[in-house]
Amino acid sequence: MGFAYFAKSGGERMKTLLGIARRSAWNRRSTLVWVVVSLALATALLWTLERLRHDTRSSFSQSVSGVDLIVGARSSPVQLMLFSVFHIGSVPQGMSMDSVRMLAQHRSVSWVVPLSLGDSHRGFPVLGTTPAFFQHFKYGDKQALVLRQGAVFADTLDGLYEAVIGAEVARKMGYNLGQSITLSHGLNAHDHGDESHDDHADKPFKVVGILAPTGTPVDRTVHVSLQALEALHLDWVAGTPLPGGQIPADQARKFNLEPEEITAALVGLKTRAAVFNVQRFVNFHEAEALMGVMPGVALGELWSVLGVGENALLAVSGLVALVSVVSLMAVVLAGLNERRRELAVLRAVGAGPRHVLGLLTLEGIWVTCAGVLLGVLMAQSGMALATPWLQQALGIRLQMAAPLPTQLALAVAVLLAGLLASLAPAWRAYRLSLADGLSPRV
Amino acid sequence: MIDIEPLRFAWTPGAANTLVLGRLQVAQGQTVFLHGPSGCGKSTLLGLLAGVLLPDQGRVALLGQDWGALKPGQRDAFRADHVGVIFQQFNLLPYLSVLDNVTLPCRFSSMRRQRCQAAGGPEAVAQNWLRRMDLPQALWTRRADALSVGQQQRVAAARALMGQPELILADEPTSALDAALRQDFMGWLLQAARDAGSTLVCVSHDEQQAVRFDVQWALPTLQKVGVSA
Repeated sequence: MGFAYFAKSGGERMKTLLGIARRSAWNRRSTLVWVVVSLALATALLWTLERLRHDTRSSFSQSVSGVDLIVGARSSPVQLMLFSVFHIGSVPQGMSMDSVRMLAQHRSVSWVVPLSLGDSHRGFPVLGTTPAFFQHFKYGDKQALVLRQGAVFADTLDGLYEAVIGAEVARKMGYNLGQSITLSHGLNAHDHGDESHDDHADKPFKVVGILAPTGTPVDRTVHVSLQALEALHLDWVAGTPLPGGQIPADQARKFNLEPEEITAALVGLKTRAAVFNVQRFVNFHEAEALMGVMPGVALGELWSVLGVGENALLAVSGLVALVSVVSLMAVVLAGLNERRRELAVLRAVGAGPRHVLGLLTLEGIWVTCAGVLLGVLMAQSGMALATPWLQQALGIRLQMAAPLPTQLALAVAVLLAGLLASLAPAWRAYRLSLADGLSPRV
Repeated sequence: MIDIEPLRFAWTPGAANTLVLGRLQVAQGQTVFLHGPSGCGKSTLLGLLAGVLLPDQGRVALLGQDWGALKPGQRDAFRADHVGVIFQQFNLLPYLSVLDNVTLPCRFSSMRRQRCQAAGGPEAVAQNWLRRMDLPQALWTRRADALSVGQQQRVAAARALMGQPELILADEPTSALDAALRQDFMGWLLQAARDAGSTLVCVSHDEQQAVRFDVQWALPTLQKVGVSA
């Protein structure tokens, strides 16, 4: 009697219980499916948000790399960064080419790429620069810009009215090589839709190169030479066209097109170790008030502002997980009253309360595991499908690499919460089956 | 085979509806008709007999074994071996077939399985009892919830008889049936219990059936009065 008997028939009972658990669950599949789906959705949401959070951050912090300093007129580092890299906002002043030339002569400086902003094409910012930009500007993990089609504009008078456009400009506007485009004055001249507002319509540009997508602001930018911007503004004074003094496009080539002032400059150093030295050199430059900004520091500063949103996102996803776990518990508890009869029958044919506890726990385990697994699968396949769109529309590069440790931690957290949520009703059923006597008092 | 020594049981300590019983004994193979007004403790007494409830004072013994002397796990095993139960309704696992429901006790009790083995195996024994309960053979492989309430009660009776447990407890097994069916059901159940040699304790409001039992217990008059049957 007693335990010896148990040991002998334990396997048989376990097999019976497993069979009953399976068929009982199948019998309630219409309810259980929703429990699994709700857990799966919570897991998928957390999994995706965590990946988005991580990749947004890394996309953002890798908007520019391989640049040691951004130099411009003295303002705030974030402001200079936003304008020169993201082409958002403005800076109070430009910097003189004299300063650029002096900077280039510093013994620690390897290269200087001047940037000039102020015009736009159909809402896309126009960046005046030198062909060296395409050589030195890096993004992501020191990835260079790649031309999908065509070539960089020539640094000669022949190539004066040539433009290299970013991937998104090409896609949205449907431009191909050889397309003729006109620019308009001012960065904020948003999508006019017609050419009548293109104040630089007298000097059209030809698209000679289209860049591959990068997921950075480069995708949204039209690149032309510094001299081209100079040519556009030959007949302009103080931001307005010179009355009656139009200079035709060809005539412009005869003028001195070397700019005297630019917006900012990207600086690469021979050794990174010299960065503080050069930064100090820039900051104490006497001829004009300049500053040197380390991109990483400014991006970090910028992210700390955006990070508030990041935390809110995290809080919301946590709440979503909590809600779905609580609803799992509610569903299981609500189903318990119906199951009390089933459990009483099992008790009547010889199953003990511990078998009842085991039965419910078993169900909780596989329901939760199925939910979490399904959620991860949903999230991964969803992201795989959405990656091209995210890259193009939001410029976020989702990485289909191995799961992040934080993603795994979140999945495990959902798993544990789900188990706890299903153990609570199991424990209640166990107590009830002890207290109910032979038949449930429902 | 049932031996109750003066006992006291309360669902909550100090509650008004405390069950107090004097000495009660039932011999093996007797059929007992247990009746009384609602709430007088009939189901509680069944719980005490089945060892799912333990008295606060006194003791209940089955086959000479005091329920209170067993650990919970041992009580479950002892019950599985020696007690068959029929509820008022909802006796069956709806997702199992009729036959699977009937053979369930053999899966939890190796003693009852062995007894069935001696009589041709659980399947054969189950079919035999189902036939005795006059359940059409066409229904045996159907899902249990495809049956009418009356048919389900007969399946439950067949299950309680599997492996000939020494004690069968029936808690108002006919209350969900109409009058004509009650007569038949009680007849089948009583005959089967006698053939199996099982003691039957049946709670019922249907006092017309009382005369068919060996012993009649009116619970209110039992309180504190010893009875030997």
